[in-house]
Amino acid sequence: MQKTLVITPSRCTACRTCELACSFKHAGPAGLGISRIRAFMFGEGKNQILTCFQCDDAACVKVCPVTALARNEATGAIEVDEDRCIGCGLCSLACPFGHMAHDGRMAIAIKCDLCGGQPACATFCPTRTLEYI
Amino acid sequence: MSEKVVNLEINGRGFQAREGMTILEVAKREGIPIPTLCHHDALEPVGACRLCMVEITHPNWRGWKGLVTACLYPVEEGLQVTTESQEIHQVRKTILDLLLARCPDAPYIQKVAAEHGVTATSFKKNEVQTVCILCGLCVRVCAVKGCNAIGTARRGIRREIAAPFGMPPPDCIGCTSCAHICPTDAIPWEDVNGVRKIWDQEFEMVRCVSCGRPIMPVTQLEFEAKRAGISPDYMTTCPACSQQKTLETIRTAFTIKRPASEDAVEAAS
Amino acid sequence: MRINSVKSLTRAAGRARGERKRLETEVLVCAGTGCLANGSMDVAEAFLGAIRRRKLEARLKLGFKTTGCHGFCEKGPLVIIQPQGIFYKGVKAKDVKEIVDQTLLKGQVIQRLLYRDPNTKQRVEQYAEIPFYSKQHRIALRNIGKIDPKCIDDCLAVGGYTGLAKALTEMKPTEVIDAVTESGLRGRGGGGFPTGRKWKTCREAEDPTKYVLCNADEGDPGAFMDRSICEGDPHAVLEGMVIGAWAVGASKGYIYVREEYPLAVKHLQAAIEQARERGFLGDDILGTGFSYDVQIARGGGAFVCGESSALMKSVAGEVGEPRAKYVHSVIRGLYDKPTVLNNVETWANVPWIITEGAAAFASLGTKKSTGTKTFSLVGKVKNTGLVEVPMGITLREIIYDIGGGIIKNRPFKGVQTGGPSGGCLPEGKLDLPVDFDTLTEAGSMMGSGGMIVMDDRTCMVDVARYFLKFLVDESCGKCVPCREGVHQLHQTVNDICAGNGRPGDLERIEALSDVVVKASLCALGKSAPNPILSTLRYFREEYEAHINDRKCPAGVCRNLFTFRISPEICNGCGLCAKSCPVDCIAGEKKEVHVIDASVCTRCGACRNVCPTDAVEVI
Repeated sequence: MQKTLVITPSRCTACRTCELACSFKHAGPAGLGISRIRAFMFGEGKNQILTCFQCDDAACVKVCPVTALARNEATGAIEVDEDRCIGCGLCSLACPFGHMAHDGRMAIAIKCDLCGGQPACATFCPTRTLEYI
Repeated sequence: MSEKVVNLEINGRGFQAREGMTILEVAKREGIPIPTLCHHDALEPVGACRLCMVEITHPNWRGWKGLVTACLYPVEEGLQVTTESQEIHQVRKTILDLLLARCPDAPYIQKVAAEHGVTATSFKKNEVQTVCILCGLCVRVCAVKGCNAIGTARRGIRREIAAPFGMPPPDCIGCTSCAHICPTDAIPWEDVNGVRKIWDQEFEMVRCVSCGRPIMPVTQLEFEAKRAGISPDYMTTCPACSQQKTLETIRTAFTIKRPASEDAVEAAS
Repeated sequence: MRINSVKSLTRAAGRARGERKRLETEVLVCAGTGCLANGSMDVAEAFLGAIRRRKLEARLKLGFKTTGCHGFCEKGPLVIIQPQGIFYKGVKAKDVKEIVDQTLLKGQVIQRLLYRDPNTKQRVEQYAEIPFYSKQHRIALRNIGKIDPKCIDDCLAVGGYTGLAKALTEMKPTEVIDAVTESGLRGRGGGGFPTGRKWKTCREAEDPTKYVLCNADEGDPGAFMDRSICEGDPHAVLEGMVIGAWAVGASKGYIYVREEYPLAVKHLQAAIEQARERGFLGDDILGTGFSYDVQIARGGGAFVCGESSALMKSVAGEVGEPRAKYVHSVIRGLYDKPTVLNNVETWANVPWIITEGAAAFASLGTKKSTGTKTFSLVGKVKNTGLVEVPMGITLREIIYDIGGGIIKNRPFKGVQTGGPSGGCLPEGKLDLPVDFDTLTEAGSMMGSGGMIVMDDRTCMVDVARYFLKFLVDESCGKCVPCREGVHQLHQTVNDICAGNGRPGDLERIEALSDVVVKASLCALGKSAPNPILSTLRYFREEYEAHINDRKCPAGVCRNLFTFRISPEICNGCGLCAKSCPVDCIAGEKKEVHVIDASVCTRCGACRNVCPTDAVEVI
């Protein structure tokens, strides 16, 4: 069965290790801060993690004019083909949840790709808020 | 594309590839660098910049070898490709040297040229200097988006990227894809007070329903929604507000105090 | 009237021939573009008026028609009277009355209108005896000048469409291809690719939709072979195309002709309509069930659209730019379908090969370049015009026997063949046989058949500059080496001509040319450095004189020479002073004249008029 990134916000301490792991994994030390996952603090110890839901009928895929977004059947993740992306930004506008990001430096769209089946955020999450099961 | 698999050699190493793939596609897949200027994976290759030239030969060609553009040449059984040689370097250097004479002030060309050991042009600089290298990415991306608003005009050294008859292009939707894909930032555009200016034309922009930030031209919104077959409402909230909305929804869920077992939010399905 | 079988074609041809035989005399006025420009329409109208007024048609059983180009355009307007074969040149409308009175009514030849051999100074009466024509061998031009191109019956009378009838009824498509292969016919547009092999590959291509096209986008400056064929014998082209379509299995085709050839467009269009009416085009051709139709696609006159892939894009309505032909157009051509594209002259040869047999064609010319080739012979030769000669003839024969030698018998310097991207060959190469491979080996090429002869007053650096300028203007600009590289080559040569050449320029030119040749996308770019490479190969010392000595030995590049009147030679006739536009030549009658170099603009007028060649370049 396909694995899923499961988030349990009640365990989250908003330590932001996930953001760090994500940006390090995708862009190396130079790209710290360009993360595909975000931790938010609501106060009173209530925290939330936001990242792509990998929607079934994804708006981002529909609007892409060059089919640069496609689902990786092995992981279930919708991935950006960085060499095809023309950086038009339609996907980030179309995503109803605001999960798509735009890498201004590279002029391409970026989003969670589940690290090809080994999500770094889950690997490094110290509280098991993020689990890939 | 055909399913037939062919065997070829690149720089002496054997590879397999589907028949009909280009040399560049195979080289890219195998991590063999071949420089390009006018290539983009999402667009039809045209072979305009000639930077991706590689040498090919074949055991059956009785010693014949020649230079071809990797972006266009389809691989075939037994093909032998060399991606680096003195001759190839000479071609690439001359092309960049020529481009530097045309665009001495384009930082991107300066950078690529320097990577190939060309720091200044050895030719007389062109009388009319531009930053446009005429790679045609803008024209092709416009075509891929289905607009075909811009094209090339005139011939030879006077060739230029232009809208029909030099007038504001009627088919332009103001999406700025041409400007984004341009490697040398040769296409000027700006957003001022909710109005986008590009190709001598002004476009009224749709504003984010939450924060009022201009998002995209009205013409583009209509065009994109129709093309993608989704409601225009999908694209009337800016990414930041969409994210905020998502967070709000979740926070509301918290305050309602749902049972702990339902606390988990599943991400992927 | 539709012709539905070979039998009815034979009958129709017989009727047309009968009509012709009834005539006792026939007046042919050339209405090719060259003669038209010289006023041949006025001559034709004067004849028609005289024939009507004086009822000559009935009195003399006289026929009259305007024909296509005779090739001897320089001497136009041309009038030929058959069956005597009297050849009048430079005829004006006012001469018509005399021709009617003297020649038509009394049978006397008017000496003044006859051609005078520039070498023997003899008047030549007979068409066939003029050296310009006697050395020629006409296959592609076989009917031009004999028939009225606007009249299909005239074409049938000389055997038009019999090749088509033979191919469709007696030969299988593969047999047609075999015949063309055996004939050794190679593409006349410049490439020299074996036509039979091209057709075979197209026939064997999988896609059932195929196209057969004709390239009439002749763009070389000074070349007019294809134009003359389209204007003078359009049915030969159509017939060839239908035979080709039968051979490869195509049902649709286009003739791509430039808008700048209005007469060719008009005649081709008329020919297409007549051929459709008679059943040589369209559905069920000659009642055989085979269908093929042709449409004219008009081009805007871009040189690059003569390149096959650019031509096909232009026909399809796209921007006429070449694409890389790693997949050949016989497999993926027009609308991505298998396509045969041949040039006008190639098509015009095909019917002849079918009727006369492959062996007859192969017996002409050399082993690897069979048949004949048309050339437009221009430049500093006495007889300029359109010629068709067997392959393998030497350049010397073309220039000296057919062309009559160099004007004013000046020394020969070079001949430029192959159009703008061809090359210049020096005197030492004059005895080379003219065929595809020899010319290429010598650093030039056959091209589509342009031939420009140059004398000692031609500067080879200037010639290279001229052709490079043409190519800079005509490069489509798609790929970097051609767009930027040829521009840089032109700049450098321009500098050399202006006296700003620098040491090392020649080495830089050679290095850049090497890359332009290797890296350009299409044949235009790949051959663009040819004018400069071939002149460097044979006339390097002229470049060196420009750069190192700041001298133009031929006296063309104005910054690099001065004129001087040699006191030893000058006889004081004063012609030079009269011709000088800036009045800078002084001297008394019968005394040595002197040029004031500070005023002289180096226009060369004095040098051209001087009867004793006293004006020297220093």
